[in-house]
Amino acid sequence: MLKKRIIPKFLLRDGRLVKYVRFDEQPREAGNPVSTAQVYNDYGADELIILDIAPSDASRAKVLDIVGRISEQVFMPLTVGGGVRRLEDVTDLLRAGADKVAINSQALRDPGFVKAAAQAFGDQCITVSIDYRDIGNGVFRVFGDGGRAGSPHDPISWAKRMQDANCGEILLTSIDRDGTLSGYDVEIVARLNAALDIPLVVSGGCGGLEHCIAAFGAGADAVAISSLFLFTDHSPIKLRSHLVSNGINVRASKTSRN
Amino acid sequence: MASVAIIDYGRGNVRSVKNAVEHCGTDAVVTADAHVLNDASHIILPGVGAFGDAIAALKAQGLPDILRDQVIAKGKPFLGICLGMQLLADRSDEHGAHDGLGWIAGDVARLDPGPDALKIPHMGWNDVTLTAAHPLFTRLKPDQLTFYFVHSYHFRTADNAHQLARCAYGTPFTAAVAKDNILGVQFHPEKSQDSGVALLENLVRWNP
Repeated sequence: MLKKRIIPKFLLRDGRLVKYVRFDEQPREAGNPVSTAQVYNDYGADELIILDIAPSDASRAKVLDIVGRISEQVFMPLTVGGGVRRLEDVTDLLRAGADKVAINSQALRDPGFVKAAAQAFGDQCITVSIDYRDIGNGVFRVFGDGGRAGSPHDPISWAKRMQDANCGEILLTSIDRDGTLSGYDVEIVARLNAALDIPLVVSGGCGGLEHCIAAFGAGADAVAISSLFLFTDHSPIKLRSHLVSNGINVRASKTSRN
Repeated sequence: MASVAIIDYGRGNVRSVKNAVEHCGTDAVVTADAHVLNDASHIILPGVGAFGDAIAALKAQGLPDILRDQVIAKGKPFLGICLGMQLLADRSDEHGAHDGLGWIAGDVARLDPGPDALKIPHMGWNDVTLTAAHPLFTRLKPDQLTFYFVHSYHFRTADNAHQLARCAYGTPFTAAVAKDNILGVQFHPEKSQDSGVALLENLVRWNP
């Protein structure tokens, strides 16, 4: 039976691992991405997500180098994104060792880009990353450029449109909850899951075991976790054993497999 | 001393396959060159993307004939990964009808979402059940038979004797095939952590 996935999420700024709260406060330093990836590999994480949150020509080269070094030592799927604007960017990341490339702002600028990328590299290579926030009165809107650029799109209709553009997976992030450890936005997760035929990774707000159980209960295929692993004593091993004992179908923990 | 040639036809994350093979302590080279392939002891055909596009890319480099010489005529141990396994089939109906290499009888069809409206692609870690004993899976304990999959199509072998392992996603499908020196896995050993590395170690030790 297909397992629910636990995916540590790395945010990179200028090649350094950082963590924000709600996208816009001062980042906290969070360590070396390559050594942290090895630790998560040893802990039996199911995949890694690596996002460059302040992409530039200089950071692009650093990200390619980091992805290359991680892929030499860590044998699990890597989703990499941030500043992906051209098909050549996708090629570069896949060559560096990425398995999936996350497209966010460029999809908002040019929805045809997702379709072109899926056609060129295969649907399963293309993840569309959707950042959204509550703009008041219970209205949700998708934001690009790291939460700075508004759009007219509702996250659910946008996700369906991206599915129709042949992306292979959706990474959904609540800006309002990101870094707050206050729990996933389960209501949107459930609505989006009901609307989608492709896998859904949910991100933003995980602060504990019960939040993961709620997200999986709402239909998420995977949970992305950042602050919880970086700044608390939770690890994928501990989370996994808790989830197993709560009846969630995840991989057996690495310690029990060895 | 084993040395593994990983076929480069511009499709898929070949670097990860090379990294994982090298992690086994074995030399690996990414190539499409007939002479380099001739020097290798084992051959891996990776691949992601679409079937028709991949076959066209192989043909553009003359690889079907080169591989036939190495694998069918010379009998070198061969492993197809994901699309690289599906390419062994006679044909696929992915985005139109396409002929495959035809090394293992069968065809490639889209996964059926079934009554549970399962999500396609089948993406993530899933359990594999062995249907035959094979050196490719030696030293892997039953609780290590969990691998990473990402695919929307599956290989329907014409002869059950060529099926080595099954996986279930709604309905059972072929997770691994074997015919003489030709092996294929639908999952990605290079992305399946310790289980995948162990499988690749078994491959490079295998000299049928």
